Amino acid sequence: MKKVLMGDHAVSHAAMLSRVQVISAYPITPQTYVVEELAEACRDGRLKAKFVMVESEHSAMACIIGACAAGSRAFTATSSHGLALMHEMLHWASGARLPVVMANCNRALGPPWNILCDHSDSMSQRDTGWIQFYVESNQEALDTVIQAYRIAEKVLLPVMVNLDGFFLTHTAEVVDVPDQDQVDAYLPPFSLPYKLDVEDPHSFGAICLDDNFMALKHDMQAAMDLARDAALEADEAFAEIFGRKYGLLEPYRMDHADTVLVTNGTITGTAREVVDDLRRRGVSVGLLKVRMLRPFPFAPVRSLLGDRERIAVIDRSVSYGLAGGLACEIRSALYGHDHGRPRVFGYIAGLGGKDVVPSDIEEIVNRTLTYEQPPRDDIWIGAGT
Amino acid sequence: MNPTMDPAKELMSPGHLACAGCGAAPAMRWALEALGPRTIVVMPACCWSIICGPYPHSALRVPTFHTAFETGAVTAAGIRASLDMQGLQDINVMVWAGDGGTFDIGFQALSAAAERNDDIIFVCYDNEAYMNTGIQRSSATPAGAWTTTTPGGKIRPKKNLVEIMAAHRIPYAATASIAFPDDFISKMTKAKGIKGTRFFHVLATCPTGWRIPSSHTVKLARLAVYSRAFPLYEVEDGERYTITVHPRDLPLRDYLEPQGRFRGLTKDQIEGLQEEVDRTWNRLTRLAGWSS
Amino acid sequence: MQRKSGPDGALPPGSITFSDMSWNRTGSWRYLKPKFVRKFSPCSESCPAGNDVEGFLFLAGEGRYEEALAKILQESPFPGVCGRVCCHPCESACNRRISDDAVSIQGIERFVSQFEPSRPPQPGEPREEKVAVVGSGPAGLSCAYHLRRLGYSVTVFEKEDVLGGMLCLGIPRYRLPRRVLNRDIDRILALGIGLETGRRVGKDMSWDELLAGRDAVFLAIGAHAHVGLKIEGESCQGIMPGTGFLKKVNLGLPAALGRRVAVIGGGNTAMDCARVALRLGSRPVVVYRRTREEMPAIEAEVQEALEEGIEFEWLTSPVRALVDDGRVAGLQCTRNRLADPDDSGRRRPEPVEASEFVLDADTVITAVGEAVDLAVLPHGLKVEKGVVWIDSWGRTSMERIWAGGDSGPDQRMVVHAIGAGKKAALSIHATLRGNDIEGIAEPLRIGSSGSFSMERYLQGEQGGAVPVREVVRPEQINLDYFEHVPRIVQPRRAPSDRVQGFEEVNGGYDKNDADLEAKRCFHCGTCDLCGNCWRFCPDLCIRSGDVPGMNLLDDFHCKGCGICAEECPRSAIVMEREL
Repeated sequence: MKKVLMGDHAVSHAAMLSRVQVISAYPITPQTYVVEELAEACRDGRLKAKFVMVESEHSAMACIIGACAAGSRAFTATSSHGLALMHEMLHWASGARLPVVMANCNRALGPPWNILCDHSDSMSQRDTGWIQFYVESNQEALDTVIQAYRIAEKVLLPVMVNLDGFFLTHTAEVVDVPDQDQVDAYLPPFSLPYKLDVEDPHSFGAICLDDNFMALKHDMQAAMDLARDAALEADEAFAEIFGRKYGLLEPYRMDHADTVLVTNGTITGTAREVVDDLRRRGVSVGLLKVRMLRPFPFAPVRSLLGDRERIAVIDRSVSYGLAGGLACEIRSALYGHDHGRPRVFGYIAGLGGKDVVPSDIEEIVNRTLTYEQPPRDDIWIGAGT
Repeated sequence: MNPTMDPAKELMSPGHLACAGCGAAPAMRWALEALGPRTIVVMPACCWSIICGPYPHSALRVPTFHTAFETGAVTAAGIRASLDMQGLQDINVMVWAGDGGTFDIGFQALSAAAERNDDIIFVCYDNEAYMNTGIQRSSATPAGAWTTTTPGGKIRPKKNLVEIMAAHRIPYAATASIAFPDDFISKMTKAKGIKGTRFFHVLATCPTGWRIPSSHTVKLARLAVYSRAFPLYEVEDGERYTITVHPRDLPLRDYLEPQGRFRGLTKDQIEGLQEEVDRTWNRLTRLAGWSS
Repeated sequence: MQRKSGPDGALPPGSITFSDMSWNRTGSWRYLKPKFVRKFSPCSESCPAGNDVEGFLFLAGEGRYEEALAKILQESPFPGVCGRVCCHPCESACNRRISDDAVSIQGIERFVSQFEPSRPPQPGEPREEKVAVVGSGPAGLSCAYHLRRLGYSVTVFEKEDVLGGMLCLGIPRYRLPRRVLNRDIDRILALGIGLETGRRVGKDMSWDELLAGRDAVFLAIGAHAHVGLKIEGESCQGIMPGTGFLKKVNLGLPAALGRRVAVIGGGNTAMDCARVALRLGSRPVVVYRRTREEMPAIEAEVQEALEEGIEFEWLTSPVRALVDDGRVAGLQCTRNRLADPDDSGRRRPEPVEASEFVLDADTVITAVGEAVDLAVLPHGLKVEKGVVWIDSWGRTSMERIWAGGDSGPDQRMVVHAIGAGKKAALSIHATLRGNDIEGIAEPLRIGSSGSFSMERYLQGEQGGAVPVREVVRPEQINLDYFEHVPRIVQPRRAPSDRVQGFEEVNGGYDKNDADLEAKRCFHCGTCDLCGNCWRFCPDLCIRSGDVPGMNLLDDFHCKGCGICAEECPRSAIVMEREL
């Protein structure tokens, strides 16, 4: 059924359709609509779940970790400082191999205080063992949360679905909300190979100071490798039932493009318009949307970008002292590549909610085509420099 | 009394890694004895994180979830929510935290769980310092005690956590001691039958950190109670105080002197501590209706 | 260590445990190891008869009175007697005194003595050797009793027509009713003991005659000879020896007392004489040269005498008997003060100058001690300080002759006599078997006092904890496990009532009081399965043993912390160094 939904509500609808059993969250703009809707749904019976109203995001994550370990499908949503506060527990969720799902409403970190979109919150958590998706639309947000449970429960790793604060969370779009029956067919009831069970008692997370520690961590890495296939399978199966499909990466007008823009999140939508416009004007430019950041889809990135001349990566966050995170990852994927050596240009844009408008993207393409070689540092767009 | 003494029937195995004479070990035994096998233990960082033993082994024969230092209460809340969703209301969820994971880093989540009145049992086995990391002071360290971070002795007294918990108006809060097994087990059994947040503050002697012989673990815990340094009582619904073990007329000195951590105290300082103990005791007796 | 796979063989996701920690040998951390032991209780150690006091109190506390009595009968044939007239050194030694009062061991013994023993004493496998016992007092009968249990044929020679010696002739019936004494004696005789009464060895028959055809003789003739005051006028009428007076009364003969009776002495005989005199209608006064503190009489006897209104003249010594018409008419006395302690450890009385006064008296009973009648001893028998010389095992200077009781150097108390008889029995047995008595006795000793356990000799060590030669000291008791419970006082008849006749003064415990009193016992040094060691063990290393009453240690896991030993209320666990 089609509905006009804000991104936050697309996420809460997805959680409900996934029949989550325990929710725990702490309010933070721009995530609040997600949890308000879920609280309401728990109260009015649309959702049979326990909502534990905690005193911090750290506790919210700890709470759903406990709930999941005890055998329940669990959900939380957060943003920015909340995600940063959760950092320790993100490691705990993945280390404990618990398939929880979280929506992160991307927002800048202070100071100075800022409640608007950028990706510095989730990019800071790339090393925590979470599968990460970045979505472009409210429909994709809803669909990805449902897919996330299927992937997470397959590989026993947690999944973070990132949606741009305000650009998606507070923006209403038409969303096709699937029927519960269809989602039930897609997503089997929650089960774990081992849970906290008084009939079959085991301990979880006992201290490990020997070689087993590395073996367990290697298992996590192996599970991440499996997650790519699991995500593709989840996407295929989703398409069969719901008719929508996203892939790990989404190439757009990349045929014979010498120059490719690489984006994630809502900048992608703007970039599509710019690419269409430039193509009309004969510029050989294409677009690659990176939907899955963890595990990083190395092989498809290589095959899609390996033989291009110039790559322009737009990052909505900075690894201070280095570069935009996405640019670094694209570069690392392409280094040592057989086909050639595309020149990768890194651009920092849209921090703290600054609009990335078509002219910004056109400037990015122009700069990419102008320079012989990428400058040593990334190019900041809109920083007044 | 002639108990049947069969370790094979216990919910905790020998071979665990507690120091010789550890007071936290019998505390766990008794708690599990009272609560039974339908119990899930939540273990934030504490000595027991080590005592349990290394992967893939655990000294506990009940399901146990090791969690981060500050998350004991809320992890239990999550487990509780999950069990309730599965219709498993009869299973006890017990947090087993040290004084750090209760008084300090664990306090925020504990206070929140108590405010929600989550249906969990939170046990703080208090050895009065960060013993696992090598004897650093916590807010449960008593005044006068030496630790590696209070080399001149701690100035401020121990937090009165039971009163703080009682102020949350939870249905049950109690102190307990490893020197008084009957009192301990009967309180735990009583708590098992109550719904909501139940809080236990257990004084669990640490021979290593208190600088006493391992054989004196129980003796010192008993002296703590008898000298009123650690009175045994319970608080129901945040207001009904009951003193459960009568102290004996022992001066605090009798409790302090055998412990190396109090060795630096002067006579005047001990008198000052005695006054503090007397004040706290008088307050407790007023609350319990022993005096007006 | 390799990663453990899950039950289905697949690697489990994450760090999930699959076994407990029992495999971990934490016992290797240990350098001290607890040992369950059985130590001696001070009460048992101090009982000259070698009673397993802790043992019978345990059985009595469980209501197993018949077994408690059988336990006493292993060591002493006189539970009825000792339950009444023993000077109970066990109670003086009782560790419970550091908490409140000693357990009334005597009261419990008295209570259980009224039952039938679960296992009556039996004569041993018959042996060829024959032993004669001279004297049927507590020493003689005790020796005869144990010799019969060891299988010897025994004949007892008694100069009187009645058995029991001083128990019968010396102790008044209000303290020891005749039926109680007879019950104990009958139980001894039931073992099959020959009796020759009314025959005085050394007078009516010669020692050679006695020794002929006998392998051993136990000489237990007591001390019945009069010891005088050694004062002027002592030989006049109206002055009589205490033992003679008591014997007359006990045999129902007239005693010829006057109105005002002065009893000289501070021992039990003096108390008995004064109280008997009172019961016969006289007004007695006890004259003692030291103070009440130094009186050798059992404290309760003094207390009862005072309750009955008997007067005492402490720090007073008779100097001269005033004689009128050949009869005593008063006693010139001097007051004393106490000087430095003498050899006996008691402070020596010293006359105060010009303190003499006349004590009104028309009868004087002397109770300042009794002597052994040396005239009837075998010729050539070594005598020292007026008594028969014996070594520590009752052997005299002559072969085949042992001695003990009041005729020997022992303390002149019933329980010491019982112990002396028992000791001689074992000594005779060792000699007749050609064994070294020390070798036999060593493992039977109860602490350092010299008493020993016949039960252990006849039945061997009772399983369970390892016995160690140590007596539990009061500071080894963990008083935190014992509530203050005052001793229960046995009911006594009112003084005004009891002085009317010879009915027994002490009513004894009823079942309820006996039960409560027996439960006051600390059970020093003996595990009573209280469970503290199990309860407090941080390492779950204590379990019930296969034998009831015995705990076992899991030494694979025990870390040697020592809590069990510290928290054992009764010092029945010791920590031993391990190499």
